[in-house]
Amino acid sequence: MVAHAEAHLDHHEEHPPVPHYSSRISPSILGMYLFIGSEIMLFGAFFTAYFFVRVVNGTPWPTPPFHLPVYLAFINTCILVTSSFTMHWALTSVKRNNPFGLRAGLLLTFLMGLTFLITQVAEYLRIGFNTGDGAFPTIFFCLTGLHGCHVFVGLTILLFMTIRAFRGHFDAAHHHGVEIGGIYWHFVDLMWILVFLTVYIL
Amino acid sequence: MTAVTADHHVPTAPSQHGPFRRYVFGAGWIRAAWMFCLFGGIGFGLTVLARWGGGWHPILYTQPIVLLSLLVAAPIGFLAGLGTFDYWTYYALGHPTRAEDHSGHGARSWRDYFRVNTDHKVIGVQYLVTTVIFFLIGGMLAMLVRAELARPGTQFFDTQTYNGLFSVHASLMIFLFVIPAFAGLANFAVPLMLGAADMAFPRLNALSFWLLPIAGVMMVSSFFIPDGAFACGWTGYAPLCSSHQPLGAVFFNQGVQWAGASSIMTALNFLVTIITMRAPGMTFWRMPLLVWANFTTSLLVVIATPFIAGSQFFSMFDHVMHTAFFDPGNGGYALGYQHIFWFYSHPAVYIMMLPGFGIMSEVIAVFSRKPIFGYRLMALSLMAIVVLGFSVWAHHMFVSGMATWLRVPMMVTTLLIAIPTGIKIFSWLATIWNGKLHFNTPFLFALGFLSMFVIGGLSGVMLGAVPIDIHVSDTYFIVAHIHYVLFGGSVFTIFAGMYYWFPKMTGRMYSETLGKLHFWLTFVAFNCTFFPMHLIGVEGMPRRVADYAPRFAAWNMFISLSSFALGASVLVFLYNMITSWRHGEIAPSNPWRAMTLEWQVSSPPPTFNFTEIPQVVGGPYEYGVPGAVHAILTPSHATEVPAEVGV
Repeated sequence: MVAHAEAHLDHHEEHPPVPHYSSRISPSILGMYLFIGSEIMLFGAFFTAYFFVRVVNGTPWPTPPFHLPVYLAFINTCILVTSSFTMHWALTSVKRNNPFGLRAGLLLTFLMGLTFLITQVAEYLRIGFNTGDGAFPTIFFCLTGLHGCHVFVGLTILLFMTIRAFRGHFDAAHHHGVEIGGIYWHFVDLMWILVFLTVYIL
Repeated sequence: MTAVTADHHVPTAPSQHGPFRRYVFGAGWIRAAWMFCLFGGIGFGLTVLARWGGGWHPILYTQPIVLLSLLVAAPIGFLAGLGTFDYWTYYALGHPTRAEDHSGHGARSWRDYFRVNTDHKVIGVQYLVTTVIFFLIGGMLAMLVRAELARPGTQFFDTQTYNGLFSVHASLMIFLFVIPAFAGLANFAVPLMLGAADMAFPRLNALSFWLLPIAGVMMVSSFFIPDGAFACGWTGYAPLCSSHQPLGAVFFNQGVQWAGASSIMTALNFLVTIITMRAPGMTFWRMPLLVWANFTTSLLVVIATPFIAGSQFFSMFDHVMHTAFFDPGNGGYALGYQHIFWFYSHPAVYIMMLPGFGIMSEVIAVFSRKPIFGYRLMALSLMAIVVLGFSVWAHHMFVSGMATWLRVPMMVTTLLIAIPTGIKIFSWLATIWNGKLHFNTPFLFALGFLSMFVIGGLSGVMLGAVPIDIHVSDTYFIVAHIHYVLFGGSVFTIFAGMYYWFPKMTGRMYSETLGKLHFWLTFVAFNCTFFPMHLIGVEGMPRRVADYAPRFAAWNMFISLSSFALGASVLVFLYNMITSWRHGEIAPSNPWRAMTLEWQVSSPPPTFNFTEIPQVVGGPYEYGVPGAVHAILTPSHATEVPAEVGV
């Protein structure tokens, strides 16, 4: 370690070499895609549990006497899907140097995401069963809950993006932050469609 | 989150404030300590508030409170206090970014190893030192297990404590030693080998290291809570572990989450680094095999680790929230745990082996002075193992009562894995064949690995066959097999890698005499410890039981004594590492006359590895090939490279 210290006395004068990128894809976007790959596998584990309970065990869905508020969930789905379009609007706006579109798009996306999450919490509170009431509630709460956690994370990212957008940190040349957060938000939306179809519709 | 570029920005310490404020509020251990308590308190408050609001009684219910405040919120506070989130928090709150001053990069004194450091070389050393500490704790637990097993009957521990000992032993060795030790070696070597200045995401790299001690401390500390540690084996089978275990089981569930998050982040970082940060000319077919090995391992980690996260979430929810994932009485599916768990944990076997294969390829080619035999097939067989590794999980479940039609397909795929593995073994042998062998310590460990891993691999092929597996399931034959592949395989490669890169990491040579002594002690004691387990296993001695039939007494006494010798051999390693690090001979930049890029810079390497990114012009293993060049570096770093690398 002594040798290590001596070798770096001139540390402050050192600078990293000019980096060389061996791929056209930007590291942070590739990182986000790989992270989403990992997230898909996490959902995969939860869907495997769903498969075991519903297909292998043949649990009645929903198990009487419980009901699922399908219409409410459908409206909620529409809200979340719409938020994906406003997200896309925000991204195309920032690429065209249109700060109004960026801010409005991000704000609308955030508000719709928040509406979705609040509706889901309200649904939990009035649904009439709890986690300990058997296999059907277990899977219901865990799949929608896992997705809810992802909405929460997505909203946190959106909040930070919105703050930065209103402070004018993004423009046509610097919109990585919007793009990466946007990829995540689209993933959260697509996952909800899958959760909605398997838990509420099928 | 950007790569190592000149235009990324980091906040500097709040220097306008007085020294006291900086002491308490600046990133570091003081802030980590009070933020640990603060976040723990917040977690406690929120849990109690939610239970009160939801009308769940009792409000002060131990399990969810301990889980959320002590095992989730408090560690986040610790990380925040240490400063792992500083840049991101600063960015998230909308502050304008400042120019990167590289203040968090590199080590100038020993103190820099105890803070959040973004230098991949420092992180590599942090990983290795941390994992060796957990290796020692895990080894100590193993010797306690052997002390109990030295004679039939119960000597020192009651059965629950005994079960806790071997469970924590396995968890530490797997999640806190083998997997992260490989991550540490790769952290140090891979960016250098690629000709990059650092990993793609240095701050993420620092975060993923600091998650690790949290996981380890969580698992070890489960001994000190009421009712003791988790005691259902490292596999944590449900419903045993999800409903009939003390609070310690939750420590295991959550510890695995922290370790898993750490390894997913590292793997993601490796993948992005390898894809986007290669030096010009470094095509995929010119990458050293260590880089290939970590590329394939990282694919496995990113794809498979979420499944163990899932299995531990379900088990924990069954425990804390009374859900019914694995509770058959309430509509759950008990076998589901094993399917989900092994869908991760079989690929995890390769996560614990493929980086070792990479180390072996480096060491064997360098010390045989020959090009690696079958380079492309070596890389492709790694990919084949990745693909096949996902199709064999149920061979751990032949006796579990799962659908019988699953048995034969899983047996066939299991036996198929012997083909890519065999390709690698024979390619290494062909590399050694007719080479100019140099029996330095890394090469001795490589030879030890080759012979021991073949034994472990052969017993693996036996276990892959359904009838033999049914006969020896849950006996000491399994214990022997796993130790031959994980100790004789993985741990030997970790030792080889530590000795091989020791001069590069520390700038000093280790003692070759002590290294050889360490190897021979380990090799002999290892075989004396684990080989007899095959015999008593076939005769029917069950594993994971504190007591056994008197007819196994003689072998068990022998195994216990050998295991203490194996423990003692680690002391030689420790003594060698510590004294050599402090007083060893100064290492030249390329003591092994290796061609890969990390040996072409000084020992230890400069803070940013290269003054200019090198130009790669050829393969990495052209030893003995006249005029072969791997890369061209700027002159200031290439001074000490011997003219004729290929001798």
